Amino acid sequence: MIEFRDVTFVHQNGVKALDSVSLRIDSGETVAIVGENGAGKTTLVKHVTGLLKPALGYVLVDGQKTTEMTTAQLSRKVGVAFQNPDHQLFSESVEEEMSFALRNFGFPPELVEQRVSWGLELFGLDEYRKSSPLVLSGGEKKRLTLACILAWDPEVVILDEPTVGQDSIQKERLVQTIRMLSSTGKTVVVVSHDIEFLWPMQPRVVVMKAGRIVGDGPAPRLMLEEELLDSARVAQPELVSFYQRLTPRPDSPFVDPLDARRWIEGRRSAP
Amino acid sequence: MMWISGGFIFRRGTSVYHRLDPRVKLLISILMFTTTLLVRSVYELAGVLAFMISVAAVAMVLRRVARTMTFTALFSVFIFVLNLVFTGNLVTSLLYAVRFVAIVVSTSLFFITTSPDELEQVMKTFKLPRDVVFAFVTAVRFIPVMLLDTIQIMDAQKSRGLELEGGNILRRVRNMIPILIPLVVNSVVRSGELAEAMEARAYGAVAHPTSLVEYRTSVTDKVVAMAAVLLFALTAYSFYYILPAKFP
Repeated sequence: MIEFRDVTFVHQNGVKALDSVSLRIDSGETVAIVGENGAGKTTLVKHVTGLLKPALGYVLVDGQKTTEMTTAQLSRKVGVAFQNPDHQLFSESVEEEMSFALRNFGFPPELVEQRVSWGLELFGLDEYRKSSPLVLSGGEKKRLTLACILAWDPEVVILDEPTVGQDSIQKERLVQTIRMLSSTGKTVVVVSHDIEFLWPMQPRVVVMKAGRIVGDGPAPRLMLEEELLDSARVAQPELVSFYQRLTPRPDSPFVDPLDARRWIEGRRSAP
Repeated sequence: MMWISGGFIFRRGTSVYHRLDPRVKLLISILMFTTTLLVRSVYELAGVLAFMISVAAVAMVLRRVARTMTFTALFSVFIFVLNLVFTGNLVTSLLYAVRFVAIVVSTSLFFITTSPDELEQVMKTFKLPRDVVFAFVTAVRFIPVMLLDTIQIMDAQKSRGLELEGGNILRRVRNMIPILIPLVVNSVVRSGELAEAMEARAYGAVAHPTSLVEYRTSVTDKVVAMAAVLLFALTAYSFYYILPAKFP
């Protein structure tokens, strides 16, 4: 469980990045954090791993204050895949890159080997096992960073803009991976601008604006709040927009936004 | 890290000093630097340092100069101890240590008040080859970017269980490898991308490209430059002919 209690964070240049943020994320929840650039999304998640410490208030991870633990200690529980994969890749081979964190956490060699093979297979990177991570394409690097995080099986997985540089097939795979993580009881926090990617997962959505949380609720409800989304400069999913435009018509076939997806999928599969 | 860098990196300002012609600011820094080398006693050095702090106050960068001094003080302690061990003279050791701080402050005053664009113009004044000027100015311009990169890389590696703080010196050095490799690789990749982007925008197409801003020295600039030279001459004269020599 992650809990923010009245957290305020001010950058060295005086910009208030978080302003009295209170948020509770229960174990096993899938939460999407959305908002325009500079809204405070990445700053928020950096507090969970203790990379940033609040100026006011505190953050609890499993009941422990992040100020009382080092980032390395917290990262055993919380895995973060950062936005830019080039900020972490340094090893001679992909498998060594994947085993880096596992060795840091003191995993036994046979378990390291097992976890590395599992991660490489899950993300379709097995053929690059002996290659340098630096020669991978942007999308492959991104997948490798995700594999690196999942390898040590953290309780909380935070993905910061995971869809950057991913094609539609990889995005679909990513959705499946997040669903798989959710089904195994992991807490998943996704920071993303990609609303179309988030929508099929139907997560709880936290909308941020200027360092504050301005909306919090299930995606099917929150994505209907046009005014809120506009003010936070968050785009509405195409399907929701489609549903809203049709709803006033008496012959609208939809009951709710989710129904629109089912309707489209039904038409696709129809002969 | 960002706190320290604030003492060396340019940030836009509105003070009178910021608005001076960059060549005049360079002249002032060179004169302050030279004066620092001419001093022969701790008292003279204190006077020079006080003048530099006054310039920083005029430029409204006192806090940032304080950062420069704090950071430099770490090295000057080392200089002080080393001199004390080998010369055994407390005053001489103190003079060398403080002189080092003064030298860094005199150069830092120029860099924290002069934008990379102004720096480019200054270098062009000296008829330096365009490629050399471009390479130097780009390096200066990318210092904040590299600092930000370093912080982000450290964050990413700490999030993978890397302990940067603990352990003996060997372990600490070894732990820097996951930081340095991505930093170097990113810098090389970035420089390649930058070169391509520059060529795509006709860099090097003509031998003498035009400038967006042509600097013209104003009356204020000329007055300040002359005052600086006069003050330097008077100070140097007083050091050698008026004030008693205290430094062995």
